[in-house]
Amino acid sequence: MTATSDPRQLSYIAHQAADARVNVELHTGDMTLNIGPQHPATHGTLRIATELDGEVVVRAEPIPGYMHRGYEKLSEVRTYPQVTTLINRIDWVGSFANEVPFILAAERLMEIEAPPRAQWIRTILFELSRIANISLFLGDMGVQLGAITPVFYAFRDRERVLNQIEAATGGRFHPNFDRIGGLKDDLPKGWIAETRDAMAKMRDFCDEMEGLLMGNEVFEARCRGVGVIPEDVALGYGLSGANLRASGVDWDLRRDNNPGLAWDQIEWKVWTHPDGDSFARYWVRLQETREATLIVDRLLDSLPSGPIMAKVPRIIKVPEGEAYISTENPLGEMGYYIVSKGDLGPFRVKIRTPSFNNISIVPWIMKGVYVPDVITILGSLYFILGDIDR
Amino acid sequence: MAKMPGFVKGLQITARTGLQTMFPDGLRKPIPAPTRGAVTVQYPHEKEAPPDRARGVIALKEDNCTACMLCSRSCPDWCIYIEGHKVKAPPRRAGGKPRNVNKLDRFDIDFALCMYCGICVEVCPFDALFWSPEYEYSEPRIADLLHDKTRLGEWFETVPDFEPYEAGSEQKVKKVPR
Repeated sequence: MTATSDPRQLSYIAHQAADARVNVELHTGDMTLNIGPQHPATHGTLRIATELDGEVVVRAEPIPGYMHRGYEKLSEVRTYPQVTTLINRIDWVGSFANEVPFILAAERLMEIEAPPRAQWIRTILFELSRIANISLFLGDMGVQLGAITPVFYAFRDRERVLNQIEAATGGRFHPNFDRIGGLKDDLPKGWIAETRDAMAKMRDFCDEMEGLLMGNEVFEARCRGVGVIPEDVALGYGLSGANLRASGVDWDLRRDNNPGLAWDQIEWKVWTHPDGDSFARYWVRLQETREATLIVDRLLDSLPSGPIMAKVPRIIKVPEGEAYISTENPLGEMGYYIVSKGDLGPFRVKIRTPSFNNISIVPWIMKGVYVPDVITILGSLYFILGDIDR
Repeated sequence: MAKMPGFVKGLQITARTGLQTMFPDGLRKPIPAPTRGAVTVQYPHEKEAPPDRARGVIALKEDNCTACMLCSRSCPDWCIYIEGHKVKAPPRRAGGKPRNVNKLDRFDIDFALCMYCGICVEVCPFDALFWSPEYEYSEPRIADLLHDKTRLGEWFETVPDFEPYEAGSEQKVKKVPR
């Protein structure tokens, strides 16, 4: 029974009810989208489970572990020289940098120090692997945002650096060149001149990237103000490397806590950017690559002569003790905590990798961003999967 | 002058690189030669020579090996298989006692397992193992990657001489025992 029987009134009520049904918003929440495990933006097999509301990310959770290889456990059943070949494969793009902190930690336990020439060559190769690593990012960031050309330029010029690493160490990606007490071998003849050549080419490459990507309006529109990490949040989540420096924190382990390599012997600059967005992270990495080429050039100028190996016993036994050494790797702070019981191999190795901490900020930073920005943020955080899962 | 839009500058860089690839000789000889200008090496048709130090394949000099098992023990993934037995060799000088010499029966390296770290080459005290920069030995069957001592001996012919060192080095250049 209706309260009224007036047809005009009834039709008015019916219209009101129909309008109310239309004006109810569509229910868009509770859609789960997996980005990865196989996705070009994840540099490997990282899965990011995002919960979407329409086009806005409500919740994002990184799920690593698809490429876990158990290097910490494997290291316990290997001798010290054998461990270096394993830890080459952690960050496979700049792999020489992985060996150095481990070797330095073992050297600190054994209380030996590599001769100056070895320290210099170590630092040079360290910076070369930084260039090889970050120049991949410089091109790859373009691919994430739809620009195909930069990645070809990056691979073309990165090849020169990889060729120099191969000519000196014998391996393009897995040098296994660092030894406790020094280096495996000295540099071959003609290497220094070729490296200077390659460094000049890399500086040209940085200029090219500046013109090709950083000046591009589309690139700026997609990067500026996207994924802003304030200084305190960056420190709170334990970010390191260029991600931290792009948030305005003047923090570089090469300068602040140099574990004995040759960085304090020359003049160089730490680049920071106050913005903390994706563009700042790209900018800082580009300046860092250019600075690294200058560091290599200056170190080659002052390369001392002498032996490359300290006196070490033929069978390496590291005395009992614990040591933690971390260095500023291409991706951030990488450290090895070695516990030794005086055996041929380490009792326990804890590997602190930068990418693992760098992606821990993903749930915080991805709250409320749009889906296309997820790719920008993931690309600009720049992680290597082997570095996360190890 | 008004500021040039960024994407125009980017197009300029791309066009310049494209022109340099098409005309590697520049304006003097404007004949397109993209095969020479490009940095890509068309692999099966042309090959890039790896540096002498490149770790391509392990070569064995069988006469120098004494089956001491050092390489096999220090291998991180235990992919070297060695068997040997002792034989009596004639004395060095007339009237001496016959010597005990280790004879190599089996020396296999499983390149499907090998991590190419070079520890075996480094620990060999008798100069029996060397790196060769050869890299073309892929096989359709994974079992064929197990190279026996004759195959490893064939690789020895491709071992290059050790390079001289950069100025300021105190290392001695080693010799390959040919």
